[in-house]
Amino acid sequence: MGGLNLTENIALIALAAALLPLFSFVFILLSKKGGGANFALASVSLSLVLSLYLFSQLWNTAPVHQQFSWFLIGTVQFYAGVLLNNLSVLMMVMVSGISVLVHIYSREYMKNDPNISRYWAYLGLFCFSMLGLTISDSLLLIYIFWELVGFSSYLLIGFWYSKHTASQAAKKAFIMNRIGDLGFLTGILIIYTQFQTLDLHSLFGDGGLIGTSSIDGDLWISGSQQMPVIWLSIAGFAFFLGAMAKSAQFPLHTWLPDAMEGPTSVSSLIHAATMVAAGVFLIARIYPVFDPLILDLMVWIGAFTAFMAASIALTQNDIKRILAYSTISQLGFMVMAIGIGAYSESIFHLTTHAFFKCLLFLAAGSVIHQLHHYCEKNGHDFDCQDIRLMGGLRKRMPFAFWGMCIASAALVGLPLTSGFLSKDSILIRAFEWGAAREGVFVVLPWVMVLTSWLTAFYIFRLIFKVFLGESREIKMDRLVQINDSPAQMTSVLVILSFFCTFIVFDSNPVSFESSWLWNGFQISMIKEISIFHWLIPLILNFGSIVLIFVAYRIYVRDKGSNKMEVSWLYHVSNREWYFNEIYNFMFIRSVEKLSLLTYRFDRTVIDGLVLSVAALTKIISSIADWFDRNIIDGLVNSAGSLSRYIGRFFRNFQSGRLQNYLTTMLLLMLSFFILSYLI
Amino acid sequence: MNMGEEQIIFYFFAASVLISALCVVVMKNLVRSIFLFFVTLFSLAALYLFALADFIALAQVIIYAGGVLVLMLFAFMLSNRELLSSLNPVVSGFKINNFAGILISLLLLFILFTVIIKTDLNHLNWMQESVPINSSDNTTHLIGIQTMTTYLLPFEILSVFLMMALIGAAHLARKGGKS
Amino acid sequence: MIPIAHFMLISACLFCTGLYAVLTRRNAIQVLIGIEFMINAAVLNFVAFGRYDKISGGGQMFALFAIVLAAAGVAVALAIILNVYKYFKSIDPTKTNTLKD
Repeated sequence: MGGLNLTENIALIALAAALLPLFSFVFILLSKKGGGANFALASVSLSLVLSLYLFSQLWNTAPVHQQFSWFLIGTVQFYAGVLLNNLSVLMMVMVSGISVLVHIYSREYMKNDPNISRYWAYLGLFCFSMLGLTISDSLLLIYIFWELVGFSSYLLIGFWYSKHTASQAAKKAFIMNRIGDLGFLTGILIIYTQFQTLDLHSLFGDGGLIGTSSIDGDLWISGSQQMPVIWLSIAGFAFFLGAMAKSAQFPLHTWLPDAMEGPTSVSSLIHAATMVAAGVFLIARIYPVFDPLILDLMVWIGAFTAFMAASIALTQNDIKRILAYSTISQLGFMVMAIGIGAYSESIFHLTTHAFFKCLLFLAAGSVIHQLHHYCEKNGHDFDCQDIRLMGGLRKRMPFAFWGMCIASAALVGLPLTSGFLSKDSILIRAFEWGAAREGVFVVLPWVMVLTSWLTAFYIFRLIFKVFLGESREIKMDRLVQINDSPAQMTSVLVILSFFCTFIVFDSNPVSFESSWLWNGFQISMIKEISIFHWLIPLILNFGSIVLIFVAYRIYVRDKGSNKMEVSWLYHVSNREWYFNEIYNFMFIRSVEKLSLLTYRFDRTVIDGLVLSVAALTKIISSIADWFDRNIIDGLVNSAGSLSRYIGRFFRNFQSGRLQNYLTTMLLLMLSFFILSYLI
Repeated sequence: MNMGEEQIIFYFFAASVLISALCVVVMKNLVRSIFLFFVTLFSLAALYLFALADFIALAQVIIYAGGVLVLMLFAFMLSNRELLSSLNPVVSGFKINNFAGILISLLLLFILFTVIIKTDLNHLNWMQESVPINSSDNTTHLIGIQTMTTYLLPFEILSVFLMMALIGAAHLARKGGKS
Repeated sequence: MIPIAHFMLISACLFCTGLYAVLTRRNAIQVLIGIEFMINAAVLNFVAFGRYDKISGGGQMFALFAIVLAAAGVAVALAIILNVYKYFKSIDPTKTNTLKD
C-alpha cells in the first residue's frame, strides 16, 4: 500500500477490520453445511488484532477522518467514510474482543446444533454490522449499520425459528427496534434540513456546526438555516427514541427479556455487551445535539428504567430473564449518566458492563448446557433455565460458580472489581449533579442507590438459588453426573473474569479518576464535591453487603421466603409490571382489529368489486352467447332449414307412385286446357 | 218399334252401363267389381247394337266378356293365397288422392260435356256428306271386305302383335326365373 | 234414331269413370279394369261415329282393332302384375315406390 499516506492506511485497516466478518458471512453461506467455525473464528480474531493495532495507534491522538463521495442526488453529494476517535477504537476493541471470546465459547456450546453454519454466518454478519457502526462517519452510514445490527439481532434471536416463541420474540424485537429507527430517521431528517450535512465530524466535532449554532429567541439558527427552537428538542428526542429502542429503555424495553429465546452465547454477545450498547454509543456520539430538556428526560427515563428493571428482576425465575432485566437496569444507569452529563463515566460503565455481563451470561449458559446434557443422558425432562429447580451446583461446577461470583461482584460494584470503579463513579456524579439542582432532582440519586441495592439482592439471589443450598429437582445421588463445561467454555470464563477485575482498567482500585479509560473522554461539567467520592461508595457497598446477607438467609437458609409470594408487590414484579399485557391491550388488539377490518373490507368490497366485474362479464358474455346462438346462428340455420323445407316439399312430388304422377299430369293438363281455351 | 220405345230401351242400357261402371269403381270387393264389369260389358254390347254395329257387339261379347273377363277371373282365382289376401280394402272415406281423382274426373267430364254440347254435330262437314249405315245393311259383309282390302296391313300387323303379346305374356308369367 | 251426342255423352261418362278408377284404386287389377273402361269408352265412340260411314266402315274397323288390342294389353298387363307381385309382394300401386326420391 505504498503511495497512501498514514491516515489513509489507518482508514483502510479500520475498513478491513470491519469487512472481515462480512466475508466470513458470505463465505460461510455459500459453503457446505456444518462448516464455518474455524473460518468465522479466524476472521473475527483478525479483526481483533487489527482493532488492537488501531487502538494502540489512535488512542488519545487526533481523530482520523477519511471519506469518499458516495452518491449524488440532484446537486447534493453524499459522502461515506471512516471516523476514528477514542470512542470508535475503544468500541472496536470491545466488540471484536467479546466476539472472539463468544466465538470460542460457541464452538463448544453450539456443537451439536444442525444449523451451525447458519449460526456462524449470522454472527459474522452481526460483527460486521457492529464494527461498521462504530467506525461510520456520517449519520446516514450509522443508520444503515444500525438497521443491519437490528436485522442480525432478529436473525439470531429467531435462530431456532421452528420454535414458535423464538420467532415471536424475533418479530417483537425487530418491530420495537423499528419504532426507534423511526425516531432515528426523523432526527436525521431534522439535522439534514438544518445543516445540509450528515457528517459526524463537521456536526459534532470540536467547533462543529451544532456547537456553533445558536438559539436566538425562539429560533434555532445555524449557518444558513433557521427553524423554530422546538425542532432542536424534537431532534434530540427523536435520536433518543432510537437509542431507547436499541438499548431497551422504558417504554420500549419489553423485547429484551423475550429475546432470551435465542442461544445463550448470542444473548451474551448481542443483548448484553454490544448491540444494546449501540444505543448508548449513539447518544454518546451525537451528544452535542441534546439540549437540557432532552437531557433531563434522559435522566428520568434512565433512572426509572433502572429501578423498574431491578424491581422486576427480584422475582423472576428464569436465569436468562433475570440477567436480561439486569442488562436493562444497567443500561438505564448508562443513559442516566449521559443525561446528567457524566459522559466519560457512562462510557466507562459501558465497557466494564460489557465484560461482566458477558461473563454472567456465559456462566449461566454453561450451567444450562450441563443441565441439558444431564437431561439427555437420563431422560429427565425439566426446564433447564428455571432457578427454582436448581441448587447445590457449587461443588460440581466450580468454574461457573466462581465466574458468576466475580461477575456479580462487578455488577454490584464491590471493591476491587471494575464495576466498583464505573458504577460508583456514575453514582458519585449523580449525587454531585443532584446537589447542584434543587427540588425533586435531589431525590433521583437516592433512587439509583436503591436500585443498586436491589441489584445486589437479585443477583445474589440468583447465585444462591443456583449454586448453593440443596438441589431441588435433581436427586443428590444423581447430581454427581453433572460436571463442569468443557475447557473451551471454561477458559473463556476465566479470561472474562480477569477483565472483571480493576486491573485492566485502572492502576488504583478505589479511584476512578486515574483510569486511563476515563481520562480518554471529555470531562463532565458537574461541580465536584469531594466528600461524595468516598461517602457514596461506602454507603453503596455497605447496603449491598447487608442485602447479600439477607438474601443468603432467605434463599440458602430458607427463612421467610414464602411470605413474600402472596403480596401484590410480588405479583406486579413477577408479571414484569404487566407491560406486555398493557401493550397488548393498547396496541396489539387495536392493530389486530384494524387488520381484521381491512381484511374484511378487502374480501367483501374489493374482491367483491372484482368478482362483480367478473360476474358482469359472465352475464354479458352469456347474453352475447344467447344472441349469437339463437339469433345469428338462427338466421344461418333458418336459411338452411328453409332450403331443407323447400326441398322436402318438392321431394314429395317424386313419390314413386304411379297414380300420383298420373294425377299431377292430368291436373296440369286440364287446368292448362281450361285456362287457355275455355276462359 | 217406334222412337219412344227405342229410346227407353237405349236409356235403360245406358243407365245400366253407367251404374254398373260406377259400382265397379266404387266397390271394395274385387270379385264383385269383376262381376259387375261383366254386366257393364254386356250393356255396352247392347249399346253397340243401337249404333247398328251388330258384329262389333258380338265381337265385344266374345272377346271381352268371354276372353278378357274370364282371363281376369282365372288369373285372379289361380293366383297365390297372398295375392288374394293382400287385397287391401280401399281406405274408407275421402282421402286427398281420392279427392284429386274425383276432381280430375269431374273436370274432364265437365270439359267433355261442354265440348259435346257446344258442338253442333249435325252440321259438321263430313256429317252432311256421310252415307249412314242402314239397319238393313250387312255390316259383317262390310267389315269382311274392308279387312281384306283397305285395312289389310293393320290386320296382319295385328296378328303378329297378338302373337307377340302371347309369347311375351307367357314368358313374363313363367314360373322360376324372373325377367 | 238416337242422336250421336247421347252416345258421346255416355262415352264421356264411361271414360271419366275409368279415369277415376285408374287414379284412385289401390288394387292393380282394378286399375286394369279402369283402363278397360277407358278403352271401351273409346270403342263406343268409334262405333257411334261408325254409323255414318258406310263407304269405308272405318269406325267399326277401328272398334274391332281396339277391342283386340285391349285384350292383348290385358294379357300382358296381368303378366306384369304377376311379376310386380313377385318383387314387391303387393299389388298396391302405392307400394311400388322405389323410384321415390
